[in-house]
Amino acid sequence: MNNSPTFRSSDTLRPRRVTFLRCSFLFTLGLLIVSWVSVLSADRIARQPFLSVETVDRVIVFIKDLLGLGRPGTPAYLHLEAWVETASLAYDTLVISVLAIAVAGSVALATFMFGARNLMVGELAGYRSISSRGIFLVTRAFFVGTRAIPELIWAMLIIFVFLPGIVPAALALGIHNAGILGKLAAEVVEGLDPRPIRALRSSGATRLQIMMYGVFPEVLPRFITYLFYRWEVIIRTTIVVGFVAAGGLGLEFRLSMSYFHYTQITLLVAWYLILVVSVDLTAAFLRRLIR
Amino acid sequence: MFLWSLTRIDWGSGLVQARGLASVGQFAVALLRVDLTPYVVSSALRASWVTVTYAFAGLSVALALGLPLGVIGSGVLARRIRSRTLSVLLGRFALASMRSVHELVWAWLFVASFGLSPIAAVLALAIPYGGILGRIFSELLQDVSGPPLRALRASGASEWQILLYGRFPMALPDLLSYTFYRLECGIRSAAIMSFVGLGGLGHQIQLALDDLAYERVWTFLLFLIVLVVLVDVWSTSVRRRITQ
Repeated sequence: MNNSPTFRSSDTLRPRRVTFLRCSFLFTLGLLIVSWVSVLSADRIARQPFLSVETVDRVIVFIKDLLGLGRPGTPAYLHLEAWVETASLAYDTLVISVLAIAVAGSVALATFMFGARNLMVGELAGYRSISSRGIFLVTRAFFVGTRAIPELIWAMLIIFVFLPGIVPAALALGIHNAGILGKLAAEVVEGLDPRPIRALRSSGATRLQIMMYGVFPEVLPRFITYLFYRWEVIIRTTIVVGFVAAGGLGLEFRLSMSYFHYTQITLLVAWYLILVVSVDLTAAFLRRLIR
Repeated sequence: MFLWSLTRIDWGSGLVQARGLASVGQFAVALLRVDLTPYVVSSALRASWVTVTYAFAGLSVALALGLPLGVIGSGVLARRIRSRTLSVLLGRFALASMRSVHELVWAWLFVASFGLSPIAAVLALAIPYGGILGRIFSELLQDVSGPPLRALRASGASEWQILLYGRFPMALPDLLSYTFYRLECGIRSAAIMSFVGLGGLGHQIQLALDDLAYERVWTFLLFLIVLVVLVDVWSTSVRRRITQ
């Protein structure tokens, strides 16, 4: 990307070279075009193509259904009882998200130092051994594996072991986010200033003492910031995991969708938005409190 | 708060499925016997391709949505304080409402209204991602350092010209870098679009799980992990070079 405007006059004078970035750029562009071609061609052979006149009608009908227009009975979102009934589901959803962030946080907190290159195999490792290299690689593989598999697929796997409810949903979310938090925290450790840690070591601190006095105090504030940020993401995902793990609003959402109870869906989406916004505000407030 | 949430769990009736642990064993053993027959591998390749196309097409729409809204949300086009506040509030509100709903919920709503079309998946991916991109873009555009902008303004450039020739070029490396990072997340999200019947790797995993064919589940899981890791490595190295 030598033509990116970073004001380097030398770049414009030199003949263009084949760089990694240029290749990546062309590759991305090519993939973009091919992707659109394949999506559009798949759309054309779909049973209900998006690019057709009927789409507009279908959308209008759907929105009318959601609002309960032209249907017998009053829509669910106008009943007070319906709000009260679904309140316990919303409460469950909140509980799932808190449990999930607790699982993710504790797993990540227990493992992140084993995933930091500089502490395990780098210059701060003190002594180098094959076992610490092995632990480092295993931890990194754990982070990558848990991160690469989305929460929903974790939930589909975990539901084989646990009874449907709050626990599998929280575990699925927790495992996925443990990988993300662990990687983020390990990267914070890798970016630490090595000098205080070296000073600790040279004054004879043990590994545990280095952790307690050199690493944790530096990492913890950042870690908690990430924790709240992930909490915001988790509350959004909880409803989705609930589809399969049968906890909270997700299950009811799925059932209403299958029964075509459209006004119930409007109610559930309203609860969902209330949860998301209140968690966002709480997390933003707590983050500011820490800073 | 965590302790309070523990009280909500129903400890009494047991948490673990009957024979649940046995299925963990079966699942783990199946890793050693991953199904690599040509048929399964070719369907895994096809599913990966569908996932990649959703991610790329979705991200391109997200970029088209996020960039203008990000410019509005950053309020850099308005010169007076009042119109700037209005633009920031409007833009930020639009972006926040786009990203507050998870992509799968969007997908579900879109499939219910549009019908089963891959474009539903692309749009479902594009809206929340557009919201996230737009928010970060607006912050990046605001954070561009002052002196070059002041020079442009002193030479009589309008706000549009300052945006195009000042803020935009200076923020470009960071904008690109963040978009690449989101691409990585987009792959993961695209993989689960299956759940509403839109195909891709997640769909195959779901089918294999329904058949209790753990060997096949592992094939698709490994494909997903490899795909995510590949995109991760690629995007990290691109980003490192862009922001240097």
